[in-house]
Amino acid sequence: MKILKTLVLRGPNFWSRRPALEAWVELGALDVPSTAIPGLYERLSAWLPSLIEHRCGIGERGGFLLRLREGTYPGHILEHVTLELQSLAGSAVGFGKARETSTPGIYKVAIRYKEERVGLAALDAGFRLLDAAIHDKPFDVAGEIAKLKELVDDVALGPSTSSIVAAAEARNIPVRRLTEGSLVQLGHGARQRRVWTAETDRTGAIAEWIAQDKSLTKRLLEGCGVPVPKGRAVASPAEAWETACELGLPVVVKPLDGNHGRAVFIEISTQQDVEHAFAAALQQGSGVLVEQFIPGNEHRVLVVGDRVVAAARGETAYVTGDGEHTVQQLIDLQLNSDPRRGEGDDCPLNPVELDDVARMDLARQGLTETSVPPPGTRVLIQRNGNVAHDVTDAVHPDVAAQLVMAARVVGLDIAGIDLVAQDISRPLEEQGAAVVEINSSPGLHAHLKPATGSPRPVGEAIVDLLFPRGEDGRVPLVCITGTNGKTTVARLLARLFERRGKLVGLACTDGVYVGGRALERGDCAGPKSAARLLLNPVVEAAVLEAGRGGILREGLGFDRCQVAVVTNIGEPDHLGRNFIQTPEQMVQVKRTPVDMVLPTGFAVLKADDPLVAGMAELSPGGVIFFCAEPEHPVLVAHRERGLRSVTVRDGRLVRETGGEQETVAALADLPLAAAATFHRENLLAATAAAWGMGFSAPETAAAFRDFHPTPEALPGRFNRFQARGATAFVDDCHNVAALREVIRTLHALPRGHRVAVYSAGAGRRDEDIRAQGKLLAEAFDTLFLYEDSSATDRAPGELFSLFRQGVESAERTPEILFHPRHRDAVEKALEYLPAGSVALIQAEDSAVEGAVAWVQSWAGRAHS
Amino acid sequence: MDVVSVRALRGPNIWTRRTVLEVKVQLVDGAPLPSPAALAQLQSHLPQLALPAQNLRSGPLALPHLFERTVLALQQQAGVAATFGRTAPSDDPGLYEVVVEYVEEEVGRRAVEMARELLSSVLGGKGVDVPATVKALRSLDENIRLGPTTGSIVKAAQRRGIPIRRLNTGSLVQFGWGVRQRRILAAETDTTGAIAESIAQDKELTKQLLRSVGVPVPDGRNVSDAEDAWVAATDIGLPVVVKPRYGNQGRGVAVNLKTRDQVIAAYASSREEGSSVMVERCAPGVDYRLLVIGNKLVAAARRDPPLVMGDGRRSIRELVEEVNKDPRRGEDHATSLSKIPLDAIALAVLAEQGLTAESVPAPGARVVLRRNANLSTGGSATDVTDEVHPDVAARAVDAARVIGLDICGVDVVCEDIRRPLEEQGGVMVEVNAAPGFRMHLDPSYGLPRPVGDAVVSTLYPPDSNGRVPVVAVTGNNGKTTTVRLIAAMFRALGRTVGMTCTDGIYVNGRRVDTGDCSGPKSARSVLANPMVEAAVLETARGGVLREGLGFDQCDVAVVTNIGEGDHLGMNGIHTPSQLAAVKRVIVENVGAAGTAVLNAADPLTVAMAPACPGSVTMFALSRTVPALAAHRERGGRVVFLEGSDIITADGHGEQRFMSVLEIPVTRGGKVLFQVENCLAAVAAAMGAGIPFEAMRKALVDFESDFRRAPGRFNVVEHQGATLVVDYGHNPDALNALVSAIERLPHERRVIVLTAAGDRRDADLLRLGEIVGNHFDEVVLFEDACNRGRADGEVTRLLRQGMSTGRRVQKVEEFRGELVALEATLQRLQPGDMGLLMVDEVERSLNWLEKRITRATA
Repeated sequence: MKILKTLVLRGPNFWSRRPALEAWVELGALDVPSTAIPGLYERLSAWLPSLIEHRCGIGERGGFLLRLREGTYPGHILEHVTLELQSLAGSAVGFGKARETSTPGIYKVAIRYKEERVGLAALDAGFRLLDAAIHDKPFDVAGEIAKLKELVDDVALGPSTSSIVAAAEARNIPVRRLTEGSLVQLGHGARQRRVWTAETDRTGAIAEWIAQDKSLTKRLLEGCGVPVPKGRAVASPAEAWETACELGLPVVVKPLDGNHGRAVFIEISTQQDVEHAFAAALQQGSGVLVEQFIPGNEHRVLVVGDRVVAAARGETAYVTGDGEHTVQQLIDLQLNSDPRRGEGDDCPLNPVELDDVARMDLARQGLTETSVPPPGTRVLIQRNGNVAHDVTDAVHPDVAAQLVMAARVVGLDIAGIDLVAQDISRPLEEQGAAVVEINSSPGLHAHLKPATGSPRPVGEAIVDLLFPRGEDGRVPLVCITGTNGKTTVARLLARLFERRGKLVGLACTDGVYVGGRALERGDCAGPKSAARLLLNPVVEAAVLEAGRGGILREGLGFDRCQVAVVTNIGEPDHLGRNFIQTPEQMVQVKRTPVDMVLPTGFAVLKADDPLVAGMAELSPGGVIFFCAEPEHPVLVAHRERGLRSVTVRDGRLVRETGGEQETVAALADLPLAAAATFHRENLLAATAAAWGMGFSAPETAAAFRDFHPTPEALPGRFNRFQARGATAFVDDCHNVAALREVIRTLHALPRGHRVAVYSAGAGRRDEDIRAQGKLLAEAFDTLFLYEDSSATDRAPGELFSLFRQGVESAERTPEILFHPRHRDAVEKALEYLPAGSVALIQAEDSAVEGAVAWVQSWAGRAHS
Repeated sequence: MDVVSVRALRGPNIWTRRTVLEVKVQLVDGAPLPSPAALAQLQSHLPQLALPAQNLRSGPLALPHLFERTVLALQQQAGVAATFGRTAPSDDPGLYEVVVEYVEEEVGRRAVEMARELLSSVLGGKGVDVPATVKALRSLDENIRLGPTTGSIVKAAQRRGIPIRRLNTGSLVQFGWGVRQRRILAAETDTTGAIAESIAQDKELTKQLLRSVGVPVPDGRNVSDAEDAWVAATDIGLPVVVKPRYGNQGRGVAVNLKTRDQVIAAYASSREEGSSVMVERCAPGVDYRLLVIGNKLVAAARRDPPLVMGDGRRSIRELVEEVNKDPRRGEDHATSLSKIPLDAIALAVLAEQGLTAESVPAPGARVVLRRNANLSTGGSATDVTDEVHPDVAARAVDAARVIGLDICGVDVVCEDIRRPLEEQGGVMVEVNAAPGFRMHLDPSYGLPRPVGDAVVSTLYPPDSNGRVPVVAVTGNNGKTTTVRLIAAMFRALGRTVGMTCTDGIYVNGRRVDTGDCSGPKSARSVLANPMVEAAVLETARGGVLREGLGFDQCDVAVVTNIGEGDHLGMNGIHTPSQLAAVKRVIVENVGAAGTAVLNAADPLTVAMAPACPGSVTMFALSRTVPALAAHRERGGRVVFLEGSDIITADGHGEQRFMSVLEIPVTRGGKVLFQVENCLAAVAAAMGAGIPFEAMRKALVDFESDFRRAPGRFNVVEHQGATLVVDYGHNPDALNALVSAIERLPHERRVIVLTAAGDRRDADLLRLGEIVGNHFDEVVLFEDACNRGRADGEVTRLLRQGMSTGRRVQKVEEFRGELVALEATLQRLQPGDMGLLMVDEVERSLNWLEKRITRATA
């Protein structure tokens, strides 16, 4: 048994709308049911008793174990083991699938994951566990789980960021982690916002800097009438004591610019304590502050924007002596035994540990950590430690207004305010309360998991601050898939957005473009290019071609789209790769964007392609059908339900809703329609997609009317060049369907000597190449064959012989010339072209630039 | 000569609009000037003292004046732009007031100290080292004043009339007021994100983001150890750059590494800077710095390391000496070029190139003496802003945007900035938050660029100067009520108002500070409050004298009256006209488009009109008041009372605004001083552009009760008697109160009062006289605080004044304000009028409120 390959499907994919792993498992001799492996059931159910919870098959508890006992296959077992390991590690997910492939003994196992690294590690551990269970070898289950847990702690988002991410997801705002840390992008392109724990992209660097400077913060607060403890920075122990006396004892001594309550000494009254505190505080910061002591409880108040969204009251920790145990032991017995206290993120309270401050508090009570206090004595352990009791509803409105002002004057959009007050439900002034500190990037934990009181929706508040209600941070996003015409439709749609003045991000088989500038050239119809555009803060609209390869390899590069276009499936290209053997299986791949249409969006589907039309029911939003034949039954049925379709009537492109018709344009006015018959389908699809994106008919017509199939606007899509009485078309056709369309268009031209430069790219089936050879032979007089440089899966000469076999099966026999290099083939063909001839110059697969440039230069030379 | 006191006037003041130190100096026996020889010595070092225009005065003012000139000359020599000075005798013999401008207070104070020492040495016939003194002062100034980057932004803001306030001794500066405030910290603004800054610190993440938006970056990767660094270097291709993943401004960065040893060594030093180290391809070409501000490229500089050009004849040492002869290469860091040091680092860099200081490079060979282009070690910066190819500029803007920085310095390495980077293998190697501006402000070669202005334009649109409307109110009586009325009018308009007055600071009605808040500190605090959309600031004389105004300019200045003056005899203010000179300061600092609102019935107030840089509105109880009539005649705006109507008028005609009968605070128009306050408020509100509708609403709703206008003519009924509670404490105020209560129906009149001990005897006698003439019964009290007078003295003077009174029947004395109030309440009978002149307003009002409620209940 071995894993041949593991794919990380980071976006919506063949299996699921959520990220998943896809492992190709070769079972070899183990392609047998579990019943054939003695002891497997016993070992697995003993090692992972919680598998009892898996409901698989019969849909109730124990379902999977029943299957295991009665006989299931190792691929399926691997799926469940991996899922369970993730659960046990604290990263629970609930989806998996195992499927046979067309190759006997090879299974595809798909498993959801939350964290990629955790999923991969769990798969690896699951595989080894299963292997051990099968071969009755020892396996350290607990050890593996512990390692996975550690990994989860390492890579999972912390509770603060998680609460924000969850709130964003609940509002359908796309989320993307930018680093392994907590930097997260919410939203897409120009609408994106960023958060980094409880900091947003509007949290000012200056505001953070001010919050670090306690004395400046105090000065600013005081200026706005927010009560703060009086006090000042001191330079020496003597000055500290002098200041303490001036302010009135007791006082607080703390570092000038420290953080997190380190070396903060509270309520100290003797010269010795003040001087000692001065020394300790000096080590933590660049200076020392002596302040009035404010009596009362520590509170942490969270201000988000112009609201107080949560408040928590701290708890002073005491132990009671029993005449037997030391202070340290009493802490462990009476405080740390509290089940709420623990190290992990799940625990609302931290364990109590004696630090400098606590030791000094003890010393003031005449104790050390090893003293044994007499029975019944109450010993103060921690004055300001754990903030835990939710008091949000008690906050007095004046107090809330002052704290909002405090955050504002420091300049923080999210602030954690430390307030000492006896009672937060009364105005601060009347109880001598004061704000002691303002923290940027405050932890949200105390509000998410208070020891008492309700958790507060702080993540929601932060998301509401970033995105006003009703905004989801999305830019218009249209995804185009299908066998042929994707790039042309994508470019037409990009043009529409451009005309609206939007900066368009376009990813297609020609490259990645932003505002017309190519960031990269080559086949960019994959998820990486899509994700890259959605990350770009200038992108105001995204037009993304989604090729089959990317979806299979990695899933989609986005989560949801407004419009998903499936141009056609017809006779699919690229069959035979990734175990996709049949057109029906290809449908399962190409439906992925349709699954991800937003409820307010549309799937744009070709009505006269049954495989495509059948996807209609998958769309969570609406469906717009397109079809050149207005009376096609699918179209008619759709129309009768009062739904949208796009068709051609009397040479006009029309949008129809039920019985209502709206003319977009006469096809004769659209340069693309005039250039090639196959472009009519592309125009139909693009018109429907434009409708789905909210473009009006006149807007659509205006954009399409000046869209010419020039090499600039539409490189490699039937670009026409003329020289010396010959005509050459550069096209990127690479499959039977596309070639057939091109030939049909050439047939409409006056008959002359016909020449083709042709080959096949990577990943095509032998039968498809032969079929194209046959088509070529029937339509052309001279063939210049070459070897596509992407076809590294073929031995030299292999393509040539496949084409030749196709040619030989045809009725006619054209002249065949073979030049291995594409460029040579093109140059020779161009030199050869007799006057009156027509040539199809195929561009190399997903690399249209070369052919376009050479033919362009040929045409240029001839003219000059 | 002794310096008795030094006071900083931090805002516009009685002397000037600039910031000045007011220095009191005491002359011993009319000390003469130093000898001509000593003076000449001083002048030789401080040429400013020798200018003919500075001709020193003779007579008793000579030495103080020389002192004044010396303080200014020292500052000027140290590079401080301070020019204003005045010297005047004071009331006390031998005591002089010397006023000198400063820019940085600490530098000014130090200059005063130094000038005193210099003069005393010179007078004592001792030698002085003026150059050393100037150098010390200069270095203090360089420490304190804003650095070139911050300074350039601040100057640009000042040119646009934006108010400036330093928030700390560093580079943190606040622009604008109230809700319009913005902040900068060197080249960061308050919109520079903390996250963006963190991203820029992480070079790996930065590169990833830059690459994603199509900005060319060097190939490379993170490495795990020194060995891995060398593996990476060979993968990428030599030469390489080794740098820490986190950090900026070029720390720990080693470039152009070609050997294994170099890479290993560079790894070690990068490692010291942070946890993670990167190895990158070393792009060929020159270093450029592109400065992007607010999505625009605003400046670019080519940065060259210090280098010499071989001539085939001279050694490197000689070539360096030759270059260093350039007069532009100074010793200190203040100039745009520094001398090239031929130090250990330079020798090491030479050694890398296989050279020594004695090598003789071939003609035209470029020999680099440092790996970086820092100006302080002889590098140079050449402005190339106009040469940057638009594509390169667009890529720099892309980089800033994807990182999220509003101001950023992008480091580019390429052969030629005039061509797109992609064509030449150029790359963007780093993005810096808070970039230094010096190389753009003061490049070694080429044009300086107005980068400070670019920052300011990202903070404020062209039509904004960051100000909120400011109304300043001063005068003898009626200030607080007028302030409250104007504030109420702004609130009626929906503005969040910050208000300062003698009762405290209020922001939208909420008191944020208590006590007398009519000084500059309170004004600054309101203007710094980020909620405030309009400010109404009571401006008392004390603060103006002590510290100057708390603002540089106001939109409206209201002077209610000067009358006979109050607090005369304090702070060297003896006459009403001297007092007027202090109160006039707000009028002098009205903006050119602003308004002064002046009481036409008060001659000293009317006389301020010419001092106003803006326009003047006069108000009075009648259109016949001559100053008002004359002002109107000249086309000026006026506000007056006619019958019971408030009329506004200007050159274009008049308009009835509303009847005072609708305004409760005037008690049916009977309380004339309140009517005057309303007229002043209306005039001010017109100046501030508040529409009539909001003004009317505010006046109709305004109640003068204990809570809303404590101690400002609060009228309450108590067991059939009428009580008027007021805080008036000078003869003018008391006269106004008497004329107001005369219009209210009553039988007997009782007054309870004390007076502050800091009034002149004459004022106390005058108060007593008014009381004696207008009241039947008098209750006097004294409190613990007598402001410098002996117990019983205030009462004695009041009684003395009363002795000439025509009406008074009975006078009693009590110790303590509340005791006196209780006694008065007990004496009142139905139909009586009691005037309660409270002193500790808040305490007494609280007591009265409870006492009256109790009695009613």
